[in-house]
Amino acid sequence: MDESQLIARVRAGDSAAARALYDAHVDRVYRLAFRLAGDDALAQDFTQETFIRAFDRLGSFRGDAAFSTWLYTITTTVVLNGLRKVKRFRQRETDIDDAHDVGIAQRHAEPDLKTRLKQAIDDLPEGYRTVFLMHDVEGYTHEEIGAALGVETGTSKAQLSRARAKLRVALSDFAGEWVT
Amino acid sequence: MMDQHEDPKFEQWLKNAARTYHTPHPTPREEMWKRIEDARRNRHVIELRPWMRWAVAAAAVLILGIGIGRWTAHQPNAGNGTTTVATADSTTPAQYDLVYQVAATQYLSHTEAFLTSFRADLGSNHAAKSARFARQARDLLSTTRLMLDSPAGKDQRLRSLLEDLELVLVQISQLDAAHNGHDTELITQGMNQSNVLPKLRSAIPAGPVPVRTQGAL
Repeated sequence: MDESQLIARVRAGDSAAARALYDAHVDRVYRLAFRLAGDDALAQDFTQETFIRAFDRLGSFRGDAAFSTWLYTITTTVVLNGLRKVKRFRQRETDIDDAHDVGIAQRHAEPDLKTRLKQAIDDLPEGYRTVFLMHDVEGYTHEEIGAALGVETGTSKAQLSRARAKLRVALSDFAGEWVT
Repeated sequence: MMDQHEDPKFEQWLKNAARTYHTPHPTPREEMWKRIEDARRNRHVIELRPWMRWAVAAAAVLILGIGIGRWTAHQPNAGNGTTTVATADSTTPAQYDLVYQVAATQYLSHTEAFLTSFRADLGSNHAAKSARFARQARDLLSTTRLMLDSPAGKDQRLRSLLEDLELVLVQISQLDAAHNGHDTELITQGMNQSNVLPKLRSAIPAGPVPVRTQGAL
């Protein structure tokens, strides 16, 4: 059965078809949610919310683009909005103890590549970070990214280029590793 | 033509290195599917009434109006003394209902953000965070109990959700600085078993953002 038939059956209320559609796409959705959120509980929440919304709105899916593209649009919307909520909540609730903890954390000297890379990626502007993780880490094409984020393909390419440039500067201490 | 910033060696090195960034766990398919099914089943029974989307916006305007009215009434030398003041007594039962619904929406949004943040921060359970979460849970618990006694609590399905939330918040409010990871794990298990977060999200109408998220998200 092809995907359009599967979707038609889900619309008709076939729960086995819904499960088949879920099985076909859940890995990529969860992986993307995890890469962006960096937390299993959040990634699970976002994945669930993505599929709940997708099933609810399946009636509005016209089939102009691939179902996966439509699903990634929902995924990025859910994840990025969810992360903004959590970030705002944490910022508002951060107290003096947390500020103290940050100070302590910053005293660690000579972090290794993994730590520096994590910090550098976390520090990227949201758009750059999203495009970088989708393209370079999860292997999405610029067409898929553009459709998911609602931007032109050229914008996706430009953001990736800027993200790499920023990372190159942030990781310049490790230049020996890529030159050799 | 190669862009001046392009460097295939660096790009390949970066791709390899970045694979270690937020490396995903194996996909927990069955657990998530169960919660999705539960949430979809509950979505149709818990969701606040659809007309609330516009009504919430209207209620926000109403509340603002009453607020401005009261504020104006307390201003010395406001106007020439003939200012008409909006008072609570002039509020109709339908308007009260809207006010409660707005309060419910804000409360649910705030609680969603709180519980999401709590689950996400479990890995870093040190004393300061536990104390903060416990304090916030106590505040939300007070609101939850007020909600249970309000007209919002007359809706049986919303009441059931509020009771689930009350239980979770009581557990979080009792966390102390000396708690161990087992306590938070039990709370999370309880949240998962009662499917409280998906139910909570289902109950939040997708209404106007400024109203939906005010003071919460």
